[in-house]
Amino acid sequence: MEHAVEMRGIVKIYPETGLRANDGVDLTLNKGQILCLAGENGAGKTTLMKVLYGLEKPDAGTISVMGNPVSITSPLQANRLGIGMVHQHFMLVDDFTVAQNVTLGKEPLKGRFSYDLKGAADAVDAVIRKHRFSIDATKRVGSLTVGQKQQVEIVKMLYRDVDILILDEPTAVLTEQEIESLFITLRALAEHGTSLILITHKLHEITTISDRVAIMRQGAMVGDFPTDSVDGKQISRLMMGQSVSLVVDRLPYTPVQHPVLRFDNVSVLKRNQQRPLLNGVSFTARSGEILGFAGVGGNGLGVLEAVLGGFLPISSGAIVHKDEDISRLDSHALRKRGLAYVPADRLQVGSALQAAVSENLIVDARNEFSRHGVMQRKKIEQHAQSLLKTYSVKGSPSMPIGTLSGGNIQKVILAREITQYQDYIVFSEPTWGLDIASSRFVYERMVQLRDEGAAVLLISSNLDEILAVSDRVIVMYRGTIVAVLESEELRHVTKEDMGAYMLGLRQQEAPHG
Amino acid sequence: MVDRMEKRRVTIVATLRNSIGAVVIVGIALAALVVLSLLLSETPMKTLRYFFLGPVQNTYYFGNMLNMAIPLIFGGLGVSLAMRSGSFNLGGEGQLYSGAFVATISALALARWGSAGVVVALLLGTCTGGLLAALSGVLRMKWNTSELITSFLVSNAVVLVVSYLIAGPFMDPATNLIATRMIPESFRFTRILEPSNLSSALFAAVIAVLVVHLYLYKTKSGYELRLFGLNPRFAAYGGIRTKWYQVWPMFLSGAFYGLGGGMAIFGTYYACMKEFSTGMGWNGLAVALIARHRPGAVIPAALFFAYIESGARNAMLHSDVTFEIASIVQSVVFFLVTSAVLQKIGSVQRRSV
Amino acid sequence: MNPVAIPVLHSAVAIMTPLLLAAMGGLFTELSGMLNIALEGLMLMGAFASIVFTHFTGNMVVGIALGVLASMLLAAILGTVTLHLKSNVFITALAANLFASGLTVVLSFKLFGNKGVVVFDGIASLPRLDIPVLAKIPVFGDIFIGHNIFVYMSWVLLALCAWVLYRTPFGFRLRATGIHEQAMVSLGMRPSRYRFIAFLVSGFTCALGGAMLTLNLGAFVPNITSGKGWIALVVIFLGQKKPIGLLFAALVFGFADAFSNYAQGAWNVPADFILAIPYVFTLVAMVLFSIYTSRKNRVE
Repeated sequence: MEHAVEMRGIVKIYPETGLRANDGVDLTLNKGQILCLAGENGAGKTTLMKVLYGLEKPDAGTISVMGNPVSITSPLQANRLGIGMVHQHFMLVDDFTVAQNVTLGKEPLKGRFSYDLKGAADAVDAVIRKHRFSIDATKRVGSLTVGQKQQVEIVKMLYRDVDILILDEPTAVLTEQEIESLFITLRALAEHGTSLILITHKLHEITTISDRVAIMRQGAMVGDFPTDSVDGKQISRLMMGQSVSLVVDRLPYTPVQHPVLRFDNVSVLKRNQQRPLLNGVSFTARSGEILGFAGVGGNGLGVLEAVLGGFLPISSGAIVHKDEDISRLDSHALRKRGLAYVPADRLQVGSALQAAVSENLIVDARNEFSRHGVMQRKKIEQHAQSLLKTYSVKGSPSMPIGTLSGGNIQKVILAREITQYQDYIVFSEPTWGLDIASSRFVYERMVQLRDEGAAVLLISSNLDEILAVSDRVIVMYRGTIVAVLESEELRHVTKEDMGAYMLGLRQQEAPHG
Repeated sequence: MVDRMEKRRVTIVATLRNSIGAVVIVGIALAALVVLSLLLSETPMKTLRYFFLGPVQNTYYFGNMLNMAIPLIFGGLGVSLAMRSGSFNLGGEGQLYSGAFVATISALALARWGSAGVVVALLLGTCTGGLLAALSGVLRMKWNTSELITSFLVSNAVVLVVSYLIAGPFMDPATNLIATRMIPESFRFTRILEPSNLSSALFAAVIAVLVVHLYLYKTKSGYELRLFGLNPRFAAYGGIRTKWYQVWPMFLSGAFYGLGGGMAIFGTYYACMKEFSTGMGWNGLAVALIARHRPGAVIPAALFFAYIESGARNAMLHSDVTFEIASIVQSVVFFLVTSAVLQKIGSVQRRSV
Repeated sequence: MNPVAIPVLHSAVAIMTPLLLAAMGGLFTELSGMLNIALEGLMLMGAFASIVFTHFTGNMVVGIALGVLASMLLAAILGTVTLHLKSNVFITALAANLFASGLTVVLSFKLFGNKGVVVFDGIASLPRLDIPVLAKIPVFGDIFIGHNIFVYMSWVLLALCAWVLYRTPFGFRLRATGIHEQAMVSLGMRPSRYRFIAFLVSGFTCALGGAMLTLNLGAFVPNITSGKGWIALVVIFLGQKKPIGLLFAALVFGFADAFSNYAQGAWNVPADFILAIPYVFTLVAMVLFSIYTSRKNRVE
């Protein structure tokens, strides 16, 4: 069988950090094959694919496509060679229609200068029909769901006649059902002769979809097998170097706890928005439990985080903390009351990247480190030293926090918020983008807080994480609570059940958390 | 001990490397000046001699150059504070001019108060500048109106209104100049480098630099201001009052401009002349940019600007070019000063060593 | 219609033209994702160069063409420094303004020995057009006729801009650059290329706006643009970044200006106050507009 792609000895060193993201990597892809490129975050998968797509220039190595040696210097050239890439973050212009997005850069013309808008819509519609996608070429992309947006990305590449398609973590933002239909599409493409590379680190996806799996760790290729010849354990061992379990030791769940934070029929309305962002949400977070909030992106998890953090005022209902109404308090006032919270966006919200680690560590405890308005430098320094040690952060207090790795930045944020917490603490997407070891560290801290008697609110779109650590789970769909799962139910709920709730296919009657 | 010495050596080397970019930029600007002189002047060598050596040829010119730097230092500090908090203050022209004007008429009104009057008059001028800038801060806080554009618009309108007031109700009928009356003798700062215009306002400028430095790096408010500037969302998340830091730094920024204006009157001009401060506000902005919003670096940046201005003035007096040649040199600095590529020059060398 | 209103509106249409021209070019840079505060400087450059070249060549068309070229050259410098030396566009644009105001005075001094107003006697006034069809527009007909050629040209250019932005591949790519730069990169297109062209376009239209100011007057006055480039920026925001919006926003400012000119004559208001009116008016308009948008986005 002829190789669609053959990469040999690829080396890529990032000059800013000196990091060897790819260190002599070989990869071959056969025609019509689905290859999963697996590995932890930072293993170098995305870098390798960016090299193949012409977005990164390799420092060494050769590439041949369909047997011909090539040098790929731009995505445009990659397209010409028949290589397409669907990025993890959508590269779509929300204001344009599907057809305008798909044809961007390769627009059909009417006459010499004029953009043939009608022709574009027809051409894109033809591609959509041929591959049986379910999107409308004339719709604005901004109005599409996440799953549909991903279809647009794939159509964008198919319109460019690619026969080698790279997908970077295509399932990260999709629901189980959407993943299923994506996989059907991908298989159909493979049968038509398209060769596919999927970047992923999810084991069950590798086993469901791929013909072959290639595993990277720390910039090197550590394994390459036909998928049916390996099992999940082998793959995960190669990915991580050792086997790590997600299960964290904890005290048994005791349902006699006192309420800490209560939402009473809370709604958030926005002008010019058809439906409320939050719609009559009621729940009680109790001491000594981890209350998980599950949902697909755009269904209210982010809004809930903003409300809890005091960034978004509520339109009706009440939020009660220790018998006091805190609905009208802003983040400043909430912090004074002891709000502790780890935000989803740790780079934009959770830290000031150019500020020193020590300065980042005291943002919500400024008053404790100043006297008569003057900062106490020594005390701040010592505080930082001791926290860095306790949380085993690789870095020093005076370094800008932006120079730390993602996992270490998250540790700094955890250190700060856990020091600050009084009776409840909010975690939003706490392990997003972290490797297994760092994720485990986060889970251990969360369980420890819960065992100490904190009310822990975990907002996460990662279902595995929700199911692994929560004592109770609330499922959100379109801003409302569609299901509440108590701890005994959680033991036998399946991911498919959860997916049905998250997609609004199923709903409990009058759920109350 | 050895460790500390090594640390200091590393710091010094790092500082020098970081300055390579700045040196290159200054070099290019001066090269532009040479080219301009060759093109525009019949006697380029003479022009260049007066330009480069004029400002330092005797105490008179040297003192005047230092004096010119004073309002630039105040303006530079003001802009630095705003920039550090993530706000743009483009209204320096109006804030400085109106601050000077209010300080002048207050001095005239408080003539009998003596030195207490000096303080009150300067304070009033300072507040005028501060409030004008704070207005833009309030608009941004309430309705997210771009403070960059509003501060510019307010300033332009205010300049015209102040000019009207000077030429109209407050004009001194005794002179031919379009200016207010002269402030009383007792309000004037002592001259410190006769026969030049340099006054003791210089000390005030140096103290102001120190105060701003301590405020930014040693106080809680300064910490909050800097964090808000670095990442407003993080500041809000950490419970810092973000509304306050959209207004307060703008106030401080305008206040320093206003103070600079008052200082210029009490130290140098003694009367508020129509449009006496044209360009000072923009130059304060330039100074802050070259200093990259670090208060300590404001002094050398202000001196550099004052040097170019007084060089151009000298060249104009003694040779055949016009003063605006300074704007062109300054614009070259502006073009290059934020270049990420030029700033990297130092670090590229580090790798090749 | 009120006999006062017609002449005021008529002159509003003329006064708005330089604003409209500058705002058009600014729209390109704005949509490409750059806040271009150099419109003022580009206008000034075009204003000075156009009349000076017209004076020396004796031909207005050649003069304007060379004036446009000068302004585009400055825009090219601005683009290169910003995009290739990776500088802050805000600061470099400020530099372009400073450069233009310095260079025009320096050259005026060098060429004419005069730093103040330079009057060019030999320059014919701008040709005026009477387009009879426009006079037939009910009520407003009179205010659209008898303007100079720049006024009508600006309308044609505006239509052309709208076509380029919304009906050509270039327009879509330019707007995509402003909305989602990485989307362009991922398809192998260089955002800096589109931004550079946007700078050139702004140089082109600003120069025309500036040329209209000096050629209409037959003289160059230092800083003749007097904040028009800034107001053009506000026109872009108030016009909601749409070509047709620019037309209405520019007309509002033209009217404010025309009205203050009228007020000066009719009510004897001091000149400095009159000059301040456009700034105050712009400020109020900006504030009202931002109140409107913040209300629209507010949580109820």
